[in-house]
Amino acid sequence: MTVSDISKRPQFFAQDNVYMPHIAVIEKIIEETPGVRTFHFNFKDKKLAKEFRFESGQFGQYSVFGLGEATFCISSSPTRPDHLEFAVQKVGRVTNAMHRLGVGAEIGFRGPYGNSFPLNALKGQNLVFVGGGIGLAPLRSLIWNVIDNRDKYKKIDIVYGARTPADLCFRYDLEAWDKDKTINMVTTIDREAEGWTGKVGMVPKVLEEVAPSAKDAVAIVCGPPIMIRFTFPVLEKLGFKPAQMITTLEKRMKCGIGKCGRCNIGDVYVCRDGPVFSYEQIKDFVSSEY
Amino acid sequence: MMEKKLRQEAKALLEQKRVDWIVGFESGSLKFTTTPLITRNVADTERLVINPFITNNLANFLTEIEGRVGIVAKGCESRSIVSLIQDNKVDREDLVILAVPCPGIIDLAKIERLVGKDRDELDDITRDGDKVSVKVDGKKKDFAVADVLFDHCLACELPTPTEYDILLGEPRQPTPDLKVSGQNIAGLKALTSAERWTKWQDEMSRCIRCYACRNVCPACFCERCFVEETEPQWVMPMPQWPDNLIFQVIRNIHVAGRCTDCGECERVCPVNIPLRSLTREMYDIVDELFKFKSGMDKDALPLMVHYEQEEAEEFFK
Amino acid sequence: MAKKISKKDIAQLLKTWSQQFTVLAPSRASGVAEMAEWDGKDTSFLDWYRNTTVPPKASFLPPMEEMFRFRKGEEGYQVEPPSSNGQRQLLFGIRPCDARAMAILDMTFEDAYKDPYYLEKRKNTVLVSLGCTNPCESCFCTSMGTGPTDASNVDIMLIDIGDGFLIEEVTDKGKELVTQTKGLKAAPKSDEAAAEKSRETSYNKVVRQLDTKGIKDKLLASFDDEEFWEQTAAKCISCGICTLLCPTCYCFDINDETDKGEGTRFRSWDSCGFSVYTKMPMENPRSEKWRRVRQKVCHKYEFYPMAFDVIACTGCGRCIRLCPVNWDITQVIESVPTKVKGAK
Repeated sequence: MTVSDISKRPQFFAQDNVYMPHIAVIEKIIEETPGVRTFHFNFKDKKLAKEFRFESGQFGQYSVFGLGEATFCISSSPTRPDHLEFAVQKVGRVTNAMHRLGVGAEIGFRGPYGNSFPLNALKGQNLVFVGGGIGLAPLRSLIWNVIDNRDKYKKIDIVYGARTPADLCFRYDLEAWDKDKTINMVTTIDREAEGWTGKVGMVPKVLEEVAPSAKDAVAIVCGPPIMIRFTFPVLEKLGFKPAQMITTLEKRMKCGIGKCGRCNIGDVYVCRDGPVFSYEQIKDFVSSEY
Repeated sequence: MMEKKLRQEAKALLEQKRVDWIVGFESGSLKFTTTPLITRNVADTERLVINPFITNNLANFLTEIEGRVGIVAKGCESRSIVSLIQDNKVDREDLVILAVPCPGIIDLAKIERLVGKDRDELDDITRDGDKVSVKVDGKKKDFAVADVLFDHCLACELPTPTEYDILLGEPRQPTPDLKVSGQNIAGLKALTSAERWTKWQDEMSRCIRCYACRNVCPACFCERCFVEETEPQWVMPMPQWPDNLIFQVIRNIHVAGRCTDCGECERVCPVNIPLRSLTREMYDIVDELFKFKSGMDKDALPLMVHYEQEEAEEFFK
Repeated sequence: MAKKISKKDIAQLLKTWSQQFTVLAPSRASGVAEMAEWDGKDTSFLDWYRNTTVPPKASFLPPMEEMFRFRKGEEGYQVEPPSSNGQRQLLFGIRPCDARAMAILDMTFEDAYKDPYYLEKRKNTVLVSLGCTNPCESCFCTSMGTGPTDASNVDIMLIDIGDGFLIEEVTDKGKELVTQTKGLKAAPKSDEAAAEKSRETSYNKVVRQLDTKGIKDKLLASFDDEEFWEQTAAKCISCGICTLLCPTCYCFDINDETDKGEGTRFRSWDSCGFSVYTKMPMENPRSEKWRRVRQKVCHKYEFYPMAFDVIACTGCGRCIRLCPVNWDITQVIESVPTKVKGAK
């Protein structure tokens, strides 16, 4: 794997120091599920708020000052830049602190970091989005990006699932995509639940049932590692080649810029050279770690 | 002689499938050094050694090896093994203990200080009874064992395991010299409280939080150490002296009643912090308060997890 | 015309240099051998054979370092960079293995995003090396692209010629410093010959050898060989000694400390050897020890070469000497099987 060139990426450094965060203000909070919240925010610096650019798939390092930083993708689409969004599942010290923040609270933001979904490779292709749980967050940035440039892409299949109906995130998106006649929206939950009339079954299994064609298609997969592990073989069975499968890797991150070593896998840093990878790129190392 | 017997026994244990693993010592890649040998191969048993440099406490590996283990045990190892058995971390039936009556292990750091040279420049170190001969620049220098053995060896109360399956040599009686081995602690106790506080600030400023002291300790077998906890964050994971000091203090309290004063923590510290001053003091406090010496009786209950109706201690009544 | 300095004049030289630099030299005063601010008189380190226990990387990537301060005022949060005094440093007595390690670290801290803290310190530091005269049995620098008197990565190199040192001016920075330094004598041709002999003698004293030919591909082919890695990792105790004290290791952690709305973000040394290093809330890809040991070996001998064409190891020998269980990287590298990829 070769190290990617960051010179073409949008770069916004606070005070010319790559580690210092910008100050941002939370504008809106959405309870996606009991453990997941979406935060809408904007930079305090109005000039930065106007000039800030990012690409779908990129992430930021968000600070709760005094407690630390955590990594989240930017879940809003670059085509809708009036505010930025990220989704947080509360699982530890920093994320719990984030869930205690209210509208108007100040956070730090460093970014945008990472590479992005290869839009050029997706243009003119049929797109199959496969997501699980909060894994829909990076995907939704790309999906809205695609919808806002609809004529550049062909068919869209979205297979998304969660453990239970209460765990489904971004329900407002699922409804909008369901209504969109140019999208085949399949939502599923792992096991039967009272009141649920939709599909039942784990995402990889439902994907196999939906059986999207691999011809002129690209699959973009995001979700818990175990879901990804079982989705790749299904896609292979459907005829997708490794280069036709794209995913975002999740690894513990601290610096976000390929220095602290934590997200190193093979000769790349997931934060700097990813998080978007094709299965082709990672199959040598991923088999042992994912 | 012990070495030959050890190799034969270990080989037989593996060949007869009485154990799955042999854990012992083999020659290290540096002079005057040994390294743990953990193997399932019969052929590897030929490399087992017993010499004055078998420093490690092999009991440390028992909590992570699955299966039956034939383990070489000096006195200190056997006490750690017994302590692990008391805590149900290891089953006695899964062990074949090959007991090595230990005359004490040579502390290379002491020799380097006394001779004034790095170990690389020493030609040979041999032990002959109460004497240790160091050959350097073609000349021989003799030292009394009391000057060159590890402090914890000088204080040893159990050189020969009492819990074992195979005894590899003549049992040795304990001859602890608490005065010589306790000099560091005596020195600390002679300081005023303020002087001691400054001294520990100084010592702890060097700590780089490598956690070798914790990881080499058989008594530290927690799957998730308190320093790894973030909710709440008991200790900052950064090497500043207050956090370093708190880490050591809490670690000592956590291993009280399990620490057998094997001295490994102090030996492995790369920045020379006198950790045994803390662990031995805790060991003595435990003995004083609870009349308990860790790792002596495999059927005894672990000290800190049981309560006697008739507590001997005044402070508890 | 080369210059020289006698050993008894070193103290005066350091005093002279202390007027324009903060001079750091090897010292045991703190209780461990490390680079410390020169105390004004001690030159006993000139007789040391071994390199310092704490590597000189600590002067550029300290065990704990302030990244910035933050404060909550009436207008909300403010972040301020730490005040840098821009003070120039001179590291005296750095060994060639450690100097090469700095060059290896530079590749990471300069690559893509520039690390401001590390690079500023590097820019403001002059490296004056003492060539080794008595390599230790743990040293294997000559197998790792450097040697006991390798001047490639320093500004000034001092070669031991008995009663003094021959001064090699390596970089422009070094030449400039030597030119403006008073008290240095001209070295006769015989000294240059003595220095050449000294270099050769030191080189030949390095006993430990390691053949790294093809190691990158061997490691790639053995990546999934769980049995090999389990065996290799068996006696490792997952402490951080080999990595924290390795001059080419650079992993760090980032933490905030705060008190009543005011605080600091720090970075501090971290290690891929720790069991919680890659721990995430839902899973830990390297909870098993053999995966961590594999990561360490492969990062240094396979991944870093893939990215930068250089093995991230300079043969300084610290890891071998300081490891609590004498786990030896040279033995491990020698034992990596030669496989055809895909064959089991």
